[in-house]
Formats: sequence, C-alpha cells, structure tokens
Amino acid sequence: MSEWQPRILAILCNWCSYAGADLAGVSRMQYPPNIRVVRVPCSGRVDPLFIMKSLQSGFDGVLVSGCHPGDCHYISGNYIARRKFAVLKPLLEFIGIEPNRIQFSWISAGEGERFATVVTKITEDIRKLGPSTRLVKKL
Amino acid sequence: MSMVNNLRKTIKELLAEKKIDLFIVWEKGSLPLSATPLFITSEDEADRAVFDITCGNNLSVYFTKDRKQFSDKKVGIAVKGCDARSVVLNILEKQIDRRNVVITGVPCHGVLDKKKVLDKTDGREVLEMIDDGDTVTLKGKGYELSFDRSEILSSSCLACIYPDAQECDIFIGDARAEIPNENRLKEIKEFEALSSSERWANTRAEYEKCIRCYACRNVCPSCYCNVCFVDQNDPGWIGNTCEFTDSMIFHIIRNLHVAGRCVECGACERACPMDINLLQLNRKVAMEVKDRFGDIAGLDINGKPAMADFREDEKQDFIMG
Amino acid sequence: MKMVRLDKQKFNDFIRELSVEYSVYAPGKVSGKTGFIPVESGDEIDFTSTVTDMSAKSIFFPHSEVLFEYDEDGIRAAQTSHRPIAVWGMRSCDARSLVMLDRVFGSAVQMPEDEKFQDPYWKEKYNTSLIFGCACNEPLSTCFCNWFGGGPYNNDGMDVSVVDAGDVYLMEPVSEKGTDIIGKLSCYKDAAEEDKALAAKLASDADSMMIAPPDTDGLGERLTALFDEAVWEEISAKCVNCGACTFSCPTCHCFDMQDEGKGSRGKRVRIWDSCMFPIFTMEASGHNPRALSSARVRQRVMHKYSYYPENYGETLCTGCGRCVMVCPVNLDIREVLKRINVYNEQEK
Repeated sequence: MSEWQPRILAILCNWCSYAGADLAGVSRMQYPPNIRVVRVPCSGRVDPLFIMKSLQSGFDGVLVSGCHPGDCHYISGNYIARRKFAVLKPLLEFIGIEPNRIQFSWISAGEGERFATVVTKITEDIRKLGPSTRLVKKL
Repeated sequence: MSMVNNLRKTIKELLAEKKIDLFIVWEKGSLPLSATPLFITSEDEADRAVFDITCGNNLSVYFTKDRKQFSDKKVGIAVKGCDARSVVLNILEKQIDRRNVVITGVPCHGVLDKKKVLDKTDGREVLEMIDDGDTVTLKGKGYELSFDRSEILSSSCLACIYPDAQECDIFIGDARAEIPNENRLKEIKEFEALSSSERWANTRAEYEKCIRCYACRNVCPSCYCNVCFVDQNDPGWIGNTCEFTDSMIFHIIRNLHVAGRCVECGACERACPMDINLLQLNRKVAMEVKDRFGDIAGLDINGKPAMADFREDEKQDFIMG
Repeated sequence: MKMVRLDKQKFNDFIRELSVEYSVYAPGKVSGKTGFIPVESGDEIDFTSTVTDMSAKSIFFPHSEVLFEYDEDGIRAAQTSHRPIAVWGMRSCDARSLVMLDRVFGSAVQMPEDEKFQDPYWKEKYNTSLIFGCACNEPLSTCFCNWFGGGPYNNDGMDVSVVDAGDVYLMEPVSEKGTDIIGKLSCYKDAAEEDKALAAKLASDADSMMIAPPDTDGLGERLTALFDEAVWEEISAKCVNCGACTFSCPTCHCFDMQDEGKGSRGKRVRIWDSCMFPIFTMEASGHNPRALSSARVRQRVMHKYSYYPENYGETLCTGCGRCVMVCPVNLDIREVLKRINVYNEQEK
C-alpha cells in the first residue's frame, strides 16, 4: 500500500483566493497536490458546519481562505467570517482537536506565490499530525 | 418572604393598571426541587408566584417558543440577572418589542442544580427542601442533611457576575451591579491546562452521553431558528443517531450559533437528562468573545450581537502567515 | 408456584450461572446515570435507585439500531448477537412496558394470525428473553404505577418475580420460562413459610406507600371529547417541546429511519423519534399538521391514554414517573391528567 497522503479541503472565496489559486496554476508554481478545492462566493459564506462536516467525513485538514481585510467583494463578508473563525478555532482546540487541522488565510487574486506557500505549509503541518481520527465518523 | 410578597403585589398592580395582559413567573412545582413556569392573566393568580432557589428556568424562552405566542400581548416577566440578559438579547434581535415587555427583576442568589442535590443524597429521593439563605436542609426517607447552599448551586451561578437584572423596568428590592467573581473562569483555565488528548478524552466521555433529546436547545432562549440545522433533512447535515461525532458536531455548532448570544444562564445544563457539563463550552466561547471583541451577551440594550458585528482592526492571530 | 430463596452472598454465583446461557443486563451506572447495562458479575450492578434514569426499553429497542448494511457485495441484515438476553432487577413499571411494546412490535392483538406484523429485530431479542423482576419496597413520590392497574409488586411481563428481603432474594417463577430457569439453576434453596409471609408483608407495605390514584375510568373517552378544546393550549403553555420525556419513557416507541451512507457503503438505522419535535409530522410539502406545541402535547397524551387503550385495551403508561423527574419545566403528567378530569367536569 502506498504511503498515507493528507487529504485537505480548501474552501476558497471566488474573488480572491480562488483567483490566487488560478494564478499559481497558470504561473506553473509547484505545490503539493493534497488539496481539494471548493469555491464559495465569499469567506462569509463559510458556515462552521461545512468545516465540521469535512472533518467528520474524513478530511485530514481544512483550509479556508478569503480576501484580505478591506478587499471583500461584498464589503464586509470576510470581517464577519473572521469573527466566526476567531471563535471556532479556539473552541476546537479547547475540546482537543489538533490546532493545525483547521487553518485560515487571506490570499488575494495577485498572490499566486502566497497560495503555493500556504498550501505547502498546511500540507506539511497536517502531514506531521498524521491522519485525522478525532471527529471522523466511522460507518 | 417580603420579596415574594412585593413581587406578587407588583404583578397585581401591573394587571390592575392594565399595563400588561400577562405575567410570566415561576410557581411552586410538583416536586420539592422544581419550580414551574406560570402564566398569570388575572390578579387572583398572582399569589401563586414564587421566586426561590428552585427557579432555574429562563422564562425568556417563552418569547421565542412556538413562533412568538405572545407577540401581540403586553407581557410582564420575572427575571434573574441572566434571564434579563436573554430578554435584552431577544429585544436586540427583534424578537420582542421593548415597549411590549415589562422587565421585572428579582434579586437572585443562585439556583440549584438537581444533579448536585442528588449527589449529596447519594441518589435518594428528596421529599422536602428548606433554604434559609445560607444553609440548605434536605429531608427524605430516613435522612436529613444540611450543608452550605453554595454546594448545590448550578455551575452557572458559581461563575455569575451579574446576578441581578441590569436592564429592567421594575426591580424587587435593590439591584446589584457587576459583582466580582474570581472563580468565574477557574474551571475553564484548569481544563485548558490539560493536554490536547486529555481534553479530547474528557470531551468525548461527556458528549458520548448525549441522547439527542434536544432539551438543551429547547430550553435556551437564544435557540429559536425556524428550523434547527439538525432538523433539516433535505439535505440532512448530520445524523440523528447517538453516534458520537454527530452528537459532538450538534453541540459544537449549537455553541457557535449562540456565540455572543449565550448569557450563561445554565438552563441547558440543568435541563440535560444525561448530566452533560454543557456550559463548559458555552463559557469558553463567551470568554473568547469577551477577550477578542469585548462583548458580553445581552448587557447593552443599544449594542449589537457580537457575531453580527465587526471591527476592521481586530486581532487576527489565527490567520496563517 | 414454588418460591425459592437466593442468599445475597451467592448472588455472584447466580449471575455467573445465568451468564452461561444468557447475556445478562442489570441496572448499572454509566457516567453517573443509571440504566440497564450488560454485566458479567453482581458487583457491576447498581441498585441504589428505585427507578433507573433510563428505562429498560433500550435493551430491546435501542436508541439507534442498525437494520441492515449494504456495500458492493449486496445487502445484509445487521449482525445480531444470538445469545438470548436475561435482565435482572427490572421494576414492575419497566416489565409492564415491555408487554405494551410487544403488542406494537411483536403481535398486534387485533390482527388475524396471518396478517400479524412481527418486527424481527424486536422479536429476536424479546421472545427469547428472560425477565427477572424486582418488586419495589420503597416506591418514590413520583411513582404512580397504581393509577393504571400496576403496582410496586405487580408481576406483568416478568418471568420470575424477585423480592428483595434483606439478606436474601425471594424468587418466584411467573411464566413457563421462569419455571424452567428456576429448575435449571442451582444456587438457591426452597423458601420457607416465613419467607412467603415476609414477601406478602413487604408487598402490602409497599402498596400502602402508594398515593391513592384519581378516578381514571373513562379517561380515553374524556380525552377524545376534549380533542378540540382550549385546554391543550393551557396544558402545553409551559412545554418547550424537548424529547426528554419521550426518551426517558419506557413505553414511547415512535421511531424514525435514517440512511447513512458514503460511497458504495451504507446502512439503515432505526432511531428514537419524539412527537414533541416539530419535524415529527413535517410533510414533504412543508405543511405540518402539528405545527404548534399544543397539538404535539395533545398527541403525546392522547396516544398514551386514548389511542393505545382503544387499540389494545390498556393505557400506554406504566406510571414509572421518569417524565415527571426529567421534565425541564416540571410539566407533570399527573397534573395534566387531573386537569383533564376537572376540565371535563366543568364542561358538563
């Protein structure tokens, strides 16, 4: 059997981070192939339930990325998102979920390189943690 | 005793002067450790009103229950400090019209947690309880026990800093402002000091007990979605079995839904038939909300619920790189 | 029938002997709450409470029960244990509840034999089970088993009745299965005349501790007549519609089905449902015939004291008092029934 590879869900906002991923692609930047991308209109659309559901269905990590503060296509979606994540992350740490399983970042449409760096970093973080077990539902 | 008499007198006056159609308060329950909600519409019922250590229910829940059954009425409501914050929150969230509610504060010295009482009696049935303000005496078949009242108070009360209503129209007696409570976050800090796997083992042991009866959700004045996410079945978000991850996700998301809106009244924890220490997560979230955004739920009637608000320059230490 | 005595010092031997053929369940504590748990020795049994927090129904009708599983290779009925179940220490309220549930899951009495529905999951467990009761010497103030034909020493639904008489358990077979097991096991002696007298005295003492019931004759008809009355709004006003009462109830048996799957694998699970939940009657169109709390509370009361009695001739309540104890708003079913009694009289 081949070596275990982390499976990471990347939830990216349409206007910045998804475009950032595109730029990384067209610029032929190298980054680990461990992410599966879901495009959302705005990071403010990301319900913490999406993140929990991803962990439950076996993703080893979740990355949520949106526009930098001030750059939101919808003016304030990412600020509302920031408050949600600011509470979600410490709560999950508190109950004993490894902190690095869930990460947030701001990546603009012009930051292809940053996208590659962020994906590389989260992949390495999760590789260190090993497969996720704590909230995974066993069927 | 005079406090309860004053409360009854107030209710009678409000009804007589036609300032309200209805008053929501507690009455003596059918069991020695329970009070039960009472809806008073006529003056002669007012003498059934009580307020004591058994009055744990947060009556504000009746404003949002059954799609606002009292929305066309002028309602008086008896509130402890925490309940008052729920009423304020319901007002902020446009569930109640401030002009239609007469908030009546009662001086709260804590309410009991039945589970702590039954720990004291080793599970033996309590047939009578006497609370003299300092000491509680329990009587049952073949035993009588007395101890300090604080030993059976709900965990929400032990961490309380606003025992009395901060926003009210009438207060029975003199309302206290914020009181110091150095133990407020003691248990949270102790839990945080454990290792990640210890915390996980602990959490798992607690939430594995959940039977998904939703008593916690239904007694909560802040939980009033038209359709709760666990009741959505097209598509269904999470399963309804007792499988641990489903239960855990229900509780995590419920906690996040009441983030910045939970007044830590402890009604959920007291309602839980399986004795899950539900309030622990709520308190952790409330602590984060206070630390990061400076908000305390239901304290400022001119404020905005924390999670519906933002500041541009907020701390974002959790954002990568 | 023949009464035998079991010295409590030999109780562990008894459980061990019983375990040879049966999976033994008995009252025990899990994370501080009492319920019926699988036990291997008498030391695991917790008999401190008269009524366990959770009822015995979960042994035969668990909260979540897998009915079948599927994958690429096909569909398979859920893996079940083929060892028969023996339950020790079931109070009369719980034992009677199983008789009530058996009418629903096992064999609807009104049906002709060839049309009878038999739930295989229930039947497999219940029909081969062995119930050792345990009479209540100290009924609680919340107990009202005497309202509906039960009592602290009632034997309905038991195979062997058991009386806790201090240092010994006095056991008497109630059914054929009970007689068989008493004949097979070896760790007890025949009871003496004094034992029988003691058991009879304990029984009458316990009966005298029960509060006299109100008049419940014709309750079902009264309820039917009150179906459209405003009394339900009054009764349900404080109910917050959680499922604590239904889930702790030994006779509530409504369930939901849930399919859980991922990729090509999955399973169908039967889970407890509650008529208190708004989604219980939600129709696919979005219409909910019981949208309001009053209709849901009425349903619960009607099912227990009107519909079920109409079908099976007995109320669907054994008076265990669990709903009275767990209700977060102290909506006491006894008070509800008393109110129904009075309301009816006012109307007359």
